[in-house]
Amino acid sequence: MEDGSDGPTRSIVDTAREGSGIATAYLALDRLVSLYELDDAAAVVDVPGLGRQVLHAGRRPLRELARELVDAEPGLYLQPPLEDPVVTELVLAVSALGLRCDARPPRTA
Amino acid sequence: MADRSDATSLDELELALRRLPGVVAVGFVDADALLLVEVQVGPEGYDEIARDAALLAGQHAPGPVTVEVVRWGGGGPAVTSPRIALVDVTTDPSAGQLTVELALGEETATGRASSKHGLLAAVQATVHALRVLVPGLPYLPGWARTIETTPERRFLVVASVTDPDTQSHRRGVAEGGSPLEAAARATLAALNRTIEPGLG
Repeated sequence: MEDGSDGPTRSIVDTAREGSGIATAYLALDRLVSLYELDDAAAVVDVPGLGRQVLHAGRRPLRELARELVDAEPGLYLQPPLEDPVVTELVLAVSALGLRCDARPPRTA
Repeated sequence: MADRSDATSLDELELALRRLPGVVAVGFVDADALLLVEVQVGPEGYDEIARDAALLAGQHAPGPVTVEVVRWGGGGPAVTSPRIALVDVTTDPSAGQLTVELALGEETATGRASSKHGLLAAVQATVHALRVLVPGLPYLPGWARTIETTPERRFLVVASVTDPDTQSHRRGVAEGGSPLEAAARATLAALNRTIEPGLG
């Protein structure tokens, strides 16, 4: 089977291997914005230990978006909307997993 | 934010902030040498969260940093509006003057500055008006900088004021329909926590 991944996808994988979970989550969100030429993107996820969390593409402040997103249900909020349940599920999974991994207390020897 | 160690510091800062009870979102703006951190806090936020967020920012940020905490209660932003409110910012091109009007309840005060100072004039006029309402306010105008202009033509400005005796700097960030209005609001944001305990 051919490797269908392109450069940017590998970059997310590299970040997942070597970087932090939160950096991986943001990179996935930013790739989504770039790939689909979106105006904006935010992921709302529930994370054990952290509760409801909002990630905004580019690590940018929410500003006026906070009114909409601080109380929002978990989901992927895109502008303009993109109807792709697989992409939505994957980005939300990476976001939740990245934050959950980072939120864990460091292992002690 | 490009440097790897800086990126690691930002990761650590963001995670530390998100671990604070009630924090739901963290965002960053790199304004030249100054890092602005926006912390969105939901209803579970506690009273001292602004202090703790500022402490964490000081520990983890790779350089100068200012923190803006936005609190939300049930259904909307908590009532954090300043007791001193901005009424108006006007310019008189023929006189080369900028005027800022503030209100504290029924009381109003105006401050003026030469508009040739550009954005800084809004900081100067706001500080002058504040001194009418808060005599003895030690802070002097420092600088102001527009850090973002939104597609909707809203302006995000950082303003800085300095207490010359203690050499302490306070910075605020605010949005406005014009850079001057945003600079006046940012000056109020910089000083709100300082001046409110002295009022009433």
